[in-house]
Amino acid sequence: MRWGMVIDLKRCIACYGCQLSCKAENGTPPGVFFARLLKHEEGQFPTVRQLFLPVLCNHCEEPPCVEVCPTGASFKTEDGIVDIDPDMCVGCRSCMMACPYGNRYFNDKPQHYFPDGPTPYEERRTARHQTDVVMKCNFCRDRLAVGKEPACVANCPAVARYFGDLDDPNSEVSRLIKDRGGFPLHPELGTKPSVYYLPA
Amino acid sequence: MTHASVKYERMLSDLRMDLRPQREWGEGRGLFLVIGHFVVGIAAGAWLFALIFDRPAALVAAFALAALGGLAHLGFLGKPDRFWRMSMRARTSWISRGFIGLSLFLAGAALYLAPQYLPGTPWGSESLLADAGYAMALVGMVVLMGYMGFVYTSAKAIPFWNSPLHPALYVAYALRGGVAALFVTALADGGAGELPAVLLPLWGGITVLVALFFMLEIHGALTSGNEAARRSVHDLLAGRVAVYFYGGTLVLGLFVPAYLMYTGLTGPLSAGAMALLGVSSAIGDFFMKYATIRAGVRLPVWTHLTPQRR
Ligand code: SF4
Ligand code: SF4
Repeated sequence: MRWGMVIDLKRCIACYGCQLSCKAENGTPPGVFFARLLKHEEGQFPTVRQLFLPVLCNHCEEPPCVEVCPTGASFKTEDGIVDIDPDMCVGCRSCMMACPYGNRYFNDKPQHYFPDGPTPYEERRTARHQTDVVMKCNFCRDRLAVGKEPACVANCPAVARYFGDLDDPNSEVSRLIKDRGGFPLHPELGTKPSVYYLPA
Repeated sequence: MTHASVKYERMLSDLRMDLRPQREWGEGRGLFLVIGHFVVGIAAGAWLFALIFDRPAALVAAFALAALGGLAHLGFLGKPDRFWRMSMRARTSWISRGFIGLSLFLAGAALYLAPQYLPGTPWGSESLLADAGYAMALVGMVVLMGYMGFVYTSAKAIPFWNSPLHPALYVAYALRGGVAALFVTALADGGAGELPAVLLPLWGGITVLVALFFMLEIHGALTSGNEAARRSVHDLLAGRVAVYFYGGTLVLGLFVPAYLMYTGLTGPLSAGAMALLGVSSAIGDFFMKYATIRAGVRLPVWTHLTPQRR
């Protein structure tokens, strides 16, 4: 069993739904984006095109972030999810230097979005995040445990995200990767990401 | 705008950049990490040369610097009270190995030095415990010299640091720092006249080695075809950290001590001038490490290697 995600770049409409729903689900502080959308412009007038790339932790099969962690706070579960135990993290940030995709964040202070202090929502949501440790996407493990999909998958209005078992050749994600030429980011690094993209 | 909102805006603009500078190591509290790596490297080199040339003051200085380096590392950690957990993953993590090396060095050096300097220490300087301390400190010293370069090489996000020469460069820094420490501690160890004559040419030789490794690294980064590595070189030589490189590394850390070395090779050099050579050499090493770390640019997530169409 290896959880994985497929993102269809042809379907993605760059609405930021994944970014927002992730923020709402995980209550991440300002500047922390477990899921984010990258925009890129290519070409020159009049043949310019804008490209979109939604990114999140790739839950690499060979995660360099886990290898460098001196405490064992970064770990990989049996079903392939890379996560952090905040009680074990010392905040050395070497995992941030090891992640070639920039998907780890240091939560350095209690932060909130508005100058008058945290809203009641923020108080409840951010209370579960420790400060002075590193944080990242964990494929919404809490939701998976109760049979739900990750928030970014469930809330994508364009149905551009698919989630499933990469080890099962008959799963929807495996079939999409095979049939439509799914590719991971930076395969040359040997990290073996579990997030694949379908060409636009 | 408050400090927090300035930081937030900068964070957001960083996330939008293709070539995003790393800020975690080297900025803010990250400066403590650079200081920690700098002094721990000197400590290891100083211990080695103090043993070879029998310089007791340098041995004590090496121990003090290593302790200072440990404190600097604690100052960098987000959760310093959990520092002991860093010993848990020596199988894969160079930070873990470095932590064990530093612990071995500090414990060993304390066992070895205590009977020599603290009257009433229950074990003697010829005892088994002192000998065990000597061996532990030696193992710790080797680890301290070697581990830092590997910490940077294993940082896959920063192509500029991924050079296989980086560990050798850090060993060379440690050796250069060690000789520099002997120049400075000569003030307490009987004066510059007591220093072996070979130290000045030794310092010169190691400096040439450092410069050679550094130039090879720069050449490797420029020819690697990696955009992030090339941007790092640009930032180092002509961009946001160039002032530290030219002012700190070249002027203070190379030209000043090289001039003093030349003076020392052609005539007698006072203890003060020798100490100045050591201090300026060390300052140069600090800025070299600082500038290289600050010049780190992340591998772009989105590169021309990311196919969009088949
Ligand atoms: S994307 Fe980064 S944080 Fe996620 S598993 Fe891979 S290396 Fe680790
Ligand atoms: S910051 Fe935490 S999770 Fe990351 S490497 Fe250090 S201890 Fe491990």
